[in-house]
Amino acid sequence: MMDFWIILTAVLVASACSILGCFLILRRMALVGDAISHAVLPGIAIAFLMSGTRDSMWMLLGATAFGLLTVFLIQTLQTSGLQSDASIGIVFTALFAVGVLLISLNAQHIDLDLDCVLFGEIAYVPWDTWTLGGTDMGPRAVWMLGITLTVILLLLGLFYKQFKICAFDPAMAVACGIPVLLFHYLLMGMVSMTAVSSFESVGAILVVGMLIIPAATAYLLTNRLGVMIGLSVAVGIVSAVAGYLISYALDASIAGCIVSVAGILFILALILAPKNGLIARFARRRNIAQVV
Amino acid sequence: MDDGKRKVNAWWGVLPLLLGMLLLAGCSGSGNAQGISEDGKLLVTATTGMIGDAAREIGGEHVEVTTLMGPGVDPHLFKASQGDIRKLDRAAVVFYGGLHLEGNMERVLVKMAAQKTVVAVTDDMPRDRLIGSADTGEFDPHVWFDVDLWTVAAETVRDTLIEKDPANAEAYREQGERYLNELKELDTYVRERMLEIPEEGRVLVTAHDAFGYFGRAYEVEVVGLQGISTAAEFGARDVSALRDYLVERNIKAVFVESSLPARSMQAIVAGAAQQGHDVTIGGELFSDAMGEPGTEEGTYIGMIRHNADTIAEALK
Repeated sequence: MMDFWIILTAVLVASACSILGCFLILRRMALVGDAISHAVLPGIAIAFLMSGTRDSMWMLLGATAFGLLTVFLIQTLQTSGLQSDASIGIVFTALFAVGVLLISLNAQHIDLDLDCVLFGEIAYVPWDTWTLGGTDMGPRAVWMLGITLTVILLLLGLFYKQFKICAFDPAMAVACGIPVLLFHYLLMGMVSMTAVSSFESVGAILVVGMLIIPAATAYLLTNRLGVMIGLSVAVGIVSAVAGYLISYALDASIAGCIVSVAGILFILALILAPKNGLIARFARRRNIAQVV
Repeated sequence: MDDGKRKVNAWWGVLPLLLGMLLLAGCSGSGNAQGISEDGKLLVTATTGMIGDAAREIGGEHVEVTTLMGPGVDPHLFKASQGDIRKLDRAAVVFYGGLHLEGNMERVLVKMAAQKTVVAVTDDMPRDRLIGSADTGEFDPHVWFDVDLWTVAAETVRDTLIEKDPANAEAYREQGERYLNELKELDTYVRERMLEIPEEGRVLVTAHDAFGYFGRAYEVEVVGLQGISTAAEFGARDVSALRDYLVERNIKAVFVESSLPARSMQAIVAGAAQQGHDVTIGGELFSDAMGEPGTEEGTYIGMIRHNADTIAEALK
């Protein structure tokens, strides 16, 4: 049962992150997950200073607030004309620095680092259960991530066309009368919620990896958004399951194995992709040379 | 647009995977009987080496103890591997340090208590003997350096084993008695060794504040470079303040720790040398983890003796 819950959690994180990852890659904002993982530090510092405890409920609240603030600031900077990589870099380093300052001024003698108080570990998921009125409802992480995934699927299902046009061609979206900014904020809000709730359940590396690698892999394989999302989710899920099996065999970190498998799948796609892969390109170049 | 259709096709590829996963999860469910080893021993899992050592000493041949954190592991930053969760899953009794020593893992250990015997060895320690404030509930978790206080942890381990495995209660009581006596001797030994150091030079300078209890119990002034967390960065001012302190108090040696890099301490030694004050690195102390298993320092008693000897030799 333990294995089942861990794999299910990994699959939920992988699915949610790989779907959102596709939009982030298209908008050149793939690193926003990493940015959030650092930028929530002042959130947990303030939550600690206000509540006086390191209770996970408070930490999660603080992190959620600052996760949303982070993506809001990134989006605002980008809308005002700054490049997306620069806006991500500015917002997360500045917020992280504020967090370090707050801790070193006010809470130096408290163990208050992100690894300790916010980031969870997927290995512990089966024991962190949620009890409702005395009955064991299964791991809390599965509920949290299940709800997150449902919200993502619901929003994307309802507004798929709008999200798609906004990702590819914001100018055309404006011309079509789509409130582009609203959809940008909506997407970033989803990313923030997913990232923070997954950090809390499974830790940072898995989330950051799953936001980027499966979507990047899918990007190499297709030019259609629908297919890309499907492939991305497939890569995410294969990584989750295969990664867990490998961690079982090697007695190693579960998140580490899952992200490594995703990395290997990406390299395979890079080499073997039918149109853009290294082999295909090499063959094409040779063909051209022969023709000449 | 045939996007929708294509998407459906991709999902079909995922379905067999999900099914396979379910099958696998079903097969690899808990195999052997919960908490008892094949040769009938009680399975005990401890987070740190110090706790595992107490369980091994008191449990003797009736228990099989596994420890999650090996030599040189910082418990605050410990990340569980797949094998570690199996160790936790099959154990009948899990002992941990508590007081936030295990960081985020503690939350899980508390929850696990609903399913099996999970005990924080610091639970029975009177709160007024802990360093920290009772208001916020934030205590310094490095209790094992006050050997007298650590006997409370050993008693907790003994009582838990007796309760869980009453058939061998007599053995646990006997071995517990013996171990507690050894700890009492150890306490006296450390106290005597510290008294060898002249009072004005009885200052222990280390990288992080793991030695608060040690200082209080054996009347040694403890100066740490870092805050309580191993993850907090120290500022440049901390380094120069500590260097000036060394020069001013004419302290002979500073110490590095087994679970932390030695770099920062070497910087201080070099800084003091520039001001014409000769400080040596007095040796390596064990702080958050014990030494390699099989060696003298791979046991709690050996580790504490090593620390006391190293400090006494360097400072007296």
